Amino acid sequence: MDQNRQGARASYVALSVFVAGWILLPSAVRRLNREAFVEFQAPALHLVGKSRDLATFWEKKSRGSEELVAAGRDLARINAALELKLKGMEDVRRENTRLREVTRYNVPAEYLSVVARVATRDSSSWWQRIVIRKGRNDGIRPGAPVVFGDTVVGRVTAVHLTTSEVDLVTSPGFRCTAYLEGDDQNRIVLINGVAANSLGTAKARVCVIPYDYLLPAGTPARVTTTGMGGVFPSGLTLGYLDGGAYATQVGNFKESLLVPSRDLYNLQEVSVLVPIIQTPGEALMQGDQFQ
Amino acid sequence: MGWAWLILLLATYPWLLGADLAGDTLASSSLVVFVSGTCLIAPSRRLKRWQCVLFAAGLGFLFEARRPIPDGTLALTLVAVAIFLSSNRPLLRSTPRMLQGAAVVNVGACLVWYLAAAFASDAPSDGAAGHLFGQLLLAGVVGTLGLVPVALTQNAVMDRLGLPPAPDVP
Repeated sequence: MDQNRQGARASYVALSVFVAGWILLPSAVRRLNREAFVEFQAPALHLVGKSRDLATFWEKKSRGSEELVAAGRDLARINAALELKLKGMEDVRRENTRLREVTRYNVPAEYLSVVARVATRDSSSWWQRIVIRKGRNDGIRPGAPVVFGDTVVGRVTAVHLTTSEVDLVTSPGFRCTAYLEGDDQNRIVLINGVAANSLGTAKARVCVIPYDYLLPAGTPARVTTTGMGGVFPSGLTLGYLDGGAYATQVGNFKESLLVPSRDLYNLQEVSVLVPIIQTPGEALMQGDQFQ
Repeated sequence: MGWAWLILLLATYPWLLGADLAGDTLASSSLVVFVSGTCLIAPSRRLKRWQCVLFAAGLGFLFEARRPIPDGTLALTLVAVAIFLSSNRPLLRSTPRMLQGAAVVNVGACLVWYLAAAFASDAPSDGAAGHLFGQLLLAGVVGTLGLVPVALTQNAVMDRLGLPPAPDVP
């Protein structure tokens, strides 16, 4: 019994020494350790994701041929309408290029779109994340914006070999600038993720809303990205203002909540917009990617 | 057998993955299905102390790897718990005691990672108390209900590895 107690005491002492050493260790060692455990789990996440895809495949394969013919017909109609739109866009693009040349306007960042399947979703008060099945091997870099259609999903926070972690718009670590629909002066507001302390849908906070801003009547106000800061392209939808805006304690500005325009936890696939040329913001993110 | 802890960790991993998948379905409610504390109970009765320590560290690091929790917080907490449990094996001498232990360890470890994540996050913690209560309640329920299947799997693996059985009486 005495030997057991002595052994336990020695173990506690060894643990205390290890804790001190762990705190003093260079952060690179801790990152390496974390990365090793992430890579250990990556094959299982891929397997889970692929099993889901297989289940969806068989579910779709079991559908009748009439249903498929109807879906094909609908797609052909949509394609025809989109082709018409595309031709109109070509004229707009030429005009846009000409005007940029005339005004010597800075060319906005160009992005390479990488489509990725969602492996898992993970959410707590202090983080709301999805893990996607594309990583460093596919050219994804930390800080890259993640979208679905014209809707912002979040931003890549950590990149591993074959997987990446994406902080959602509602996650406490998320920050960006935005414009509000109905504000003719295009004044900038700030979007911050907040801790999700309820069992309902997570929301973000919209700060620095000008005091004289009035919500458009009838429809919820759309919140769009500004394109400033070089992370998100401009004009993407972040979500909608939830109800009214309330005055802050100081009283100079108003605040409101942002409801994402899609259910971010039901997405199966997203696009990562990887800047073709590395942006300064991205370079800053690289030292921070394992947090 | 020196590598018993690693083999046992690999055998326990499907339960951790299952908990992550359950958390995936609960994602919209911002709750995490946490079972790492429960997974530590059965091995603490049979593994040697140093093996139990390595097993606990592995459990903790696996949970922390993809989450913004300060490095090593949960792993080192579980290591301390592993030292305590493997030094006081009579505490886990019967199934009811093991169930109690699973609930206490799982809730305690859940509290540790929740507070560590709150400390690391710069978001204000308004209204966090209610959510913390819900999270701890879930950890307690999952920890208690999950013990029997997890322990059955782990005991089967430990039997195959030829580890000595745990004494049922102090």
